[in-house]
Amino acid sequence: MNTNDLIASLGADMTPVRPGLLTNGVMLGLAGGTALTAVLFAVLWGVRSDPAAIYGNMPLLAKTLLPLALGAIALPWMLAQARPAGQSRTRHAIWALPAVLALLVAATLLTTPGPSWSMALQGKSIMTCLVSIPVLSAPILAALLVALRRGAPEHPMRCGMVAGLTAAGFAAAIYSLYCIENSPLFYGTWYTLAILGVAGVGAIAGRFALKW
Amino acid sequence: MRDAKWADLLRQANNGHRDAYIAFLKQVAPVLRGVIQARSGGRHEDCEDILQNVLIAIHEKRHTWRENEPVSAWLYAIARYKTIDALRKSGRSRTTAFDGEEAQVADDNVIDPTAARDLDVLLTRLDDTSAAIVRQIKLQGLTAEEVGAQLNMTPGAVRVALHRAMTRLSAAVAEDDPETANQKAPT
Repeated sequence: MNTNDLIASLGADMTPVRPGLLTNGVMLGLAGGTALTAVLFAVLWGVRSDPAAIYGNMPLLAKTLLPLALGAIALPWMLAQARPAGQSRTRHAIWALPAVLALLVAATLLTTPGPSWSMALQGKSIMTCLVSIPVLSAPILAALLVALRRGAPEHPMRCGMVAGLTAAGFAAAIYSLYCIENSPLFYGTWYTLAILGVAGVGAIAGRFALKW
Repeated sequence: MRDAKWADLLRQANNGHRDAYIAFLKQVAPVLRGVIQARSGGRHEDCEDILQNVLIAIHEKRHTWRENEPVSAWLYAIARYKTIDALRKSGRSRTTAFDGEEAQVADDNVIDPTAARDLDVLLTRLDDTSAAIVRQIKLQGLTAEEVGAQLNMTPGAVRVALHRAMTRLSAAVAEDDPETANQKAPT
């Protein structure tokens, strides 16, 4: 087919474009996925028996707020990744998260006696944490990937990875309401590991699902 | 400024102005052709194939351009992605028998019966709509308008679907061709 003919065909096929088609789709996917995760969480996990303990306890509050911030920062980064030549000016803010986490860990190491560190690190729920965060991430990640197929990521793998970070951030924030572990040593290690695992799954899924 | 002019055309196009859209595509095509040639260093006909894929991608993804962002960066990103994609695919399966024949099948309405039989087998690889479009236009000689009326698609959509189907068929033949694999192996 001759290129000029193709241009004529494309012109004949043209319809007006709804602005925000991609963003709206992604936000809808995020809302739907998160709602499903919330239902799953309410049915199978549930909020810890002493939710009031979370307020006023800085390290405990950070266990919820850090992953929430991760989701909030990764979301616009993901949307930028889904558009050709898309730029996210706020994505560098993501580096503040490991920095804050490092500060919390350092403060814990300075204020608690050495022999208690290993117990704090091991906690009582490593496996629960490592399983729950990916499971709770799954509905959000799946919905995001479906919505992102409308996009055109230059780097499908990277876009999928950031989708994984977004999903895992929100899922971990929800899971933290169940989790009874209080030490930054625990969540700094195991939450991070679980979140990075979901990011890895997102990268692999993105490589295949987000090709265009 | 070229970017401002293109942005203006694409903005109008996205608001539904067909003439602006066609003018936009006609203006960007030669520039993209240059970008693709520089990137791929490939043969002329390969570049034209890639350019057509880029134009289709622009068409399908035109909602991903945001009005406050530069159009050229957006266009070049699409051209880059599709060129790399095409080079990766052709690296897997260099010149194949179908490379030459594709042009024939695509342009001629006279079909060699053996080619038609092979095409019939190949068509099972496509989804039903694409297969129907290829069969009716390439084998039965119907026009895009006639096929579109039957399938409830615009003629433009039929032509784009036809182009995509031919590209997929060409890729399917390239993957199947064991000779190509054997030729590649020693190197």
